[in-house]
Amino acid sequence: MTNDTSSHLSEAWSSFVFKAIAIAKKDAKIYYFKPQIAGFGILIPAFLYLSFSLGRDIPPDFLIPGLVGMIALFGASSIEAISIPIEKQSETYEILQTAPLSTTNILFGKSLAGSAFGMMLSFATTLGAVFITRDSIANPLLFLVAMIVGTFAFSSFGMLIAAGVKDMPTANMSLTALRLPMMFISGVFIPVQSLPVWLQVVSYLTPLNYMVDALREAMTGPSIMFAVDLLVLLFWFIVLQSFAVMVLNRKTST
Amino acid sequence: MPAVEVLNLTKSYGGLLAVDHVNLKVDKGEIFGLLGPNGAGKTTTIRMLTGLTRPTSGTALVEGYDSVKECLEVKQRIGVVSEASNLYNEMSAWDNLMFVAELYGVDRNTRKSRTKQLLEAFQLYDRRNDHLITYSKGMKRRVRIAAALIHNPDVLFLDEPTSGLDVQSSRLIRSFLRELNGQGTTVFLTTHYIDEADQLCDRVTIIKQGRIVVEGSPEELKSTLEEKHVIEFAFNRNASDVEKLLRENLAFKDASKKGDKYSIRTVDPSTAINKIVQFATSNGLEILSLNTRHPSLEDVFIKYTGLDAVQVERMEFLRAVKGGGQRD
Repeated sequence: MTNDTSSHLSEAWSSFVFKAIAIAKKDAKIYYFKPQIAGFGILIPAFLYLSFSLGRDIPPDFLIPGLVGMIALFGASSIEAISIPIEKQSETYEILQTAPLSTTNILFGKSLAGSAFGMMLSFATTLGAVFITRDSIANPLLFLVAMIVGTFAFSSFGMLIAAGVKDMPTANMSLTALRLPMMFISGVFIPVQSLPVWLQVVSYLTPLNYMVDALREAMTGPSIMFAVDLLVLLFWFIVLQSFAVMVLNRKTST
Repeated sequence: MPAVEVLNLTKSYGGLLAVDHVNLKVDKGEIFGLLGPNGAGKTTTIRMLTGLTRPTSGTALVEGYDSVKECLEVKQRIGVVSEASNLYNEMSAWDNLMFVAELYGVDRNTRKSRTKQLLEAFQLYDRRNDHLITYSKGMKRRVRIAAALIHNPDVLFLDEPTSGLDVQSSRLIRSFLRELNGQGTTVFLTTHYIDEADQLCDRVTIIKQGRIVVEGSPEELKSTLEEKHVIEFAFNRNASDVEKLLRENLAFKDASKKGDKYSIRTVDPSTAINKIVQFATSNGLEILSLNTRHPSLEDVFIKYTGLDAVQVERMEFLRAVKGGGQRD
């Protein structure tokens, strides 16, 4: 590779990241810096989880990854799934479309905002849960890595919904229809191994399963399965993001 | 190299041909106006030029770059102001402009100085920290134009820039566009305000049902009218059948009524005035005013589209009342 090509690539990459960060900051200003959003991001999944787990003898190293995974899913996917329908309706999406940006750049910026928010909520939840249960995380760094990769996969899941739907109510309905069953079969409340075989197969098709598993691995002491979980989450991120770009391109270039 | 060059540009939605083999060329430094009634294909054309809509066939080149194959190159060189003042209401004017500057890769120092300069030019600097939700429609449109200029584009596209605005905002925008053009920026606008096009544009193209019907400078177009004179007159009462009588009995085929005045175009003003006076006398009408003038761009518009400006405005009004979501 010549020096010219490499400097051109590095310039293109830094421009891509710079613009993605600008979009993420804008989304944060518009959607995330509101107390009710942060409150709902934590409260709804926390209440859901507690209503299921209260009165049951669940060990902390099972409870914390499930709760953190669920909050990461809610935090990273909720707002981004509705942001594009809202912006299309108010015609502000055209600001992004008329700027020199690829659809990949736009969606990556939005995913960045969603995953940053998901990470913030998951981090706060982890700290609170560890403090309350007095449990410890065997490998906090890997726990953090799992949180980062997982929230990116979940925000892309939100992006795909955003790309495919016309309006906010449809986005919300689609989110609920997909997230609720995902929560019950991904080892959040009950171990995947105790599910019927066919549900176990379905479970291995959901990204939440791999995030919860990766968090549990990091919490109890990671094995090779941690790397597998991470790779699958990365795969989900790339696949969901690519599909979202494809769907959005098809819908907006008519 | 022209700033904009369009070759056989066509867009169809299903069976509907919105833009039909349009060819046009805009030279650098021109103010170019695309005129036409609602549904003529103005917005679709501008959307294809700015990379927002993919043409069904044909080519659009902006600053020499293909709007489909090299759309990022095109977008870097243009500013786009759509009809809706679409910026983020939850953010201040300052934050909106800084954000748009980031999207165009403007460096930090230039971002700040350019934002300040533009907000001052549009008389909005004092309100820079207020959220856009508190702005009037005219103020929002000014911020939108400022945002489109933040990266100093070579070509500025505006879709109905002064539609529905108060007089002060409209004047400010028009004067700013002239100034901007004086500095070398090419301006491509669509408007249904014919007077605005007449005052601003070096050249105009009139489009109807997706096809170009005529193009030239406003003065060239006015000179194409066979009837070189327009007579405007008013009677003391507005009898309901006056327009019809003028058309049928006096053979003023294009007689039209605007407010309390009637208007006709003629090659022979002297004979026409005599006819109007005789008509008034025989119908017991008193002539309150009678003026002759040269044809305006609006007369050209009426001739080539069959619609007058009042009808166009009425259509725009109805479209706005219905929600304004429809594209033309």
